[in-house]
Amino acid sequence: MDRLLAGDRAFQHLTLFSLPEARSSIAAEIHDLSAAEVAPEGETEAWSRTDTMAVLAARDALTGAGVHASSLPIDLIVGGTTAGMFETEDLLAKLSNDPSAIKPLNRMISHPLTAPADHVDAALGPFRRVRTVCSACSSGASAVALGAVWLKLGRSERVLAGGADGLCRLTYSGFAALGALSPEPCRPFDRRRSGLSLGEAAAFLLLETEAAARARGAVPLAELRGWAIGSEGHHITNPERDGHTAARVMMQALARGGLTPADIDYVNAHGTATPLNDVMETAAIRRCFGARAAHIPVSTIKGQVGHTLGAAGALEAAVTVLAIHRGAVPPTGGLEEVDPECTLDHVYTARKMPVRAAVSSSFGFGGMDTVLTFAKCETFGPPPDVAQRGVVITGGATVGPLGVYTSAQSLEYLSPGPPPDGGSIAFRAADHLDLTRARRLDRAGRFGTVAIEKALAEAQFTAPSHRTGAILGASFGNVDASTAYMKRIYAKGAKYASPADFPNLLPSSPVGHASIYLGLHGPALAMSDLNVTAETAMTTAIELVAAGEADHLFAGSVEETSPMIERCLGPVCEGIVDRGPRSEGAAVALFESQSAAQERGASILASVAYWTSWRGELTPAIVADLPAAPADAIVLVGRRAASVVNVLKGTSWQRATVYTLSDRAGDHEGAGGFAVIAGAAAVAQKKAGAALIVGKAKNRGYAVLLAPPPVGGESARLL
Amino acid sequence: MTIDQVRTELKELIVKELNLEGKSPADIDDAAPLFGAGLGLDSLDALQLAMSVEEKFGVRIPEGDEARKIFASVNALADHIVAVKSAS
Repeated sequence: MDRLLAGDRAFQHLTLFSLPEARSSIAAEIHDLSAAEVAPEGETEAWSRTDTMAVLAARDALTGAGVHASSLPIDLIVGGTTAGMFETEDLLAKLSNDPSAIKPLNRMISHPLTAPADHVDAALGPFRRVRTVCSACSSGASAVALGAVWLKLGRSERVLAGGADGLCRLTYSGFAALGALSPEPCRPFDRRRSGLSLGEAAAFLLLETEAAARARGAVPLAELRGWAIGSEGHHITNPERDGHTAARVMMQALARGGLTPADIDYVNAHGTATPLNDVMETAAIRRCFGARAAHIPVSTIKGQVGHTLGAAGALEAAVTVLAIHRGAVPPTGGLEEVDPECTLDHVYTARKMPVRAAVSSSFGFGGMDTVLTFAKCETFGPPPDVAQRGVVITGGATVGPLGVYTSAQSLEYLSPGPPPDGGSIAFRAADHLDLTRARRLDRAGRFGTVAIEKALAEAQFTAPSHRTGAILGASFGNVDASTAYMKRIYAKGAKYASPADFPNLLPSSPVGHASIYLGLHGPALAMSDLNVTAETAMTTAIELVAAGEADHLFAGSVEETSPMIERCLGPVCEGIVDRGPRSEGAAVALFESQSAAQERGASILASVAYWTSWRGELTPAIVADLPAAPADAIVLVGRRAASVVNVLKGTSWQRATVYTLSDRAGDHEGAGGFAVIAGAAAVAQKKAGAALIVGKAKNRGYAVLLAPPPVGGESARLL
Repeated sequence: MTIDQVRTELKELIVKELNLEGKSPADIDDAAPLFGAGLGLDSLDALQLAMSVEEKFGVRIPEGDEARKIFASVNALADHIVAVKSAS
């Protein structure tokens, strides 16, 4: 923070790799990172630079707060988009020359989006519950927002939330291809700005309930007041020119924290220095703050440390907290002549000033906007209370081997029948989508959009609004397209990187495309958690709806056939071997607040009576408060996992019939989504008195209990 | 390469690189504006097209206002390619 206040800039000639012909050759690099500092001896090959910086930042945050995961229950949320891409991209490109040569390789352990969270857990844990958010450049801020939701719901007392992203050739060449990289160190809001500069970082904040912090005598740095996540639904790379969604999300974040524009003394801007972002953001700040916009100091640290992508939102949140705590606002490096379209009270050199409350904004590809508000402790009264709401399922759909099915039709996946062939499923995009509007959507984007559209139709939901959002997961992101993209760069040079393909490589591309295609303007998030990716997306949706962050959330996951996952990542990261050809598909459920569903007269398929998630082994203690099973209860598992059944032994659930969805719906990481959809349909059609969906993978798991629709205004029916 | 061949190959390139599924090169009017209305192309398509024109024809499309004129239509783009090629 001292160096930020001093105005130091971190840009230098790139040394990590070279991409001749790439528009730029500078970046804000972290030097002298050594995995040996944090990884167990002999395991450094599996620890990426991103993992290393994540562990270092997370360790500092815990030490600074004076807590240890081994002595206090702490939950962990990590945002990021690249994980171990730098360490694995050349390998991906080489392997793609001969797919038959793809084999399990230890170095690939650092590739998955969950690797940074897993490695922070391994080095500093055990954490009680762990999530990974991969929503492009708003990931870090969304991780903090989700942490706040857990505290509000009373699910956590303490969450370590942050983000980590290392530089890699893929993102560097991709931003270059989009013409978004500045050849010189970037100049946010300046008339002469010509794009962003990339950096790399990890940052974590320890969020704690006030009561828990006071109980252990901790001195808080600042108060996290409000948060909001919204989607522009406009364009995969370009922001809305007039900034109306960003402004609306800023206003929501203020309102969530019980603040008004008059309370805000500092705006920590996204400020990427691209021509489009800075104009849009200025317009958004003016829309949100009105006449006061001219009098609120605004700065961005991207002029000093560059755009750190998935880490940026967390890093900037930390800087905002320190600005409040220290009464000092950092400047915008590189800004000299303000663009007339960006006139605001810009900070050219650090200002010492009291900051009562501040806003930090993050905007990601696909128009995913997240805004956080922080305040000086004990300056404002308590923020408005939001009551926890009941959550119900009102629709669902699957894209699988039997076709594009509603939840009612998806019940067929519980009937006895032959296993599917494996490999690709039959899917004709033209039967379901307007191909003119859907031309930018790749196969995963199409699966996801079609599943949401079908679920929307089943739920007879006609009016998506800014309270309607989506959460889609993909276990390993778009690994095969990333492979093809890198192969091209190695073969032809960075100037032939495809600008159109690059945005589709981001794990958030399916949900971004779906929100644009379908006009969903509420929270949009991408999530990942290996074999239980559908479960992580759906559980997070339940939490956001329960906490009042959205009224209607479509959630599930999307998987494509992939030689790289089937032959390398699956065996190495998930221990999946000898399962035959890995299949593909998508499953999406519509989770609504019970009151929103009742207000629109929706027909409720099932209510969410219980949910939990865990790290480590599933023990009876974790599911101790699971309601008892009614006589005709069923248990649904996505992908085969014997240990689930063992844990239910000795409970009322041991009598329940167990279905394994991958037997009929295909074997892939999204099978858990099919389990939730089929479970909701079984309950709705009274084929089961309750459906318990258990998703279990190596060292992690989720459980969701679906019960018959609530009667009257009750929020959760007791079994 | 004649200008007609360049136009034909350009239209094939546009359909393929910009994923204009359901459209054929013959559907593209040589004189009609490429961006905005018509085909519904935008700035991201312009970047993709510039990259693929350079890859296929070895002709670089400059950035900024100059690009606007070159990308006005298939005719304008083909003229630029032929002019650069014959000058080199």
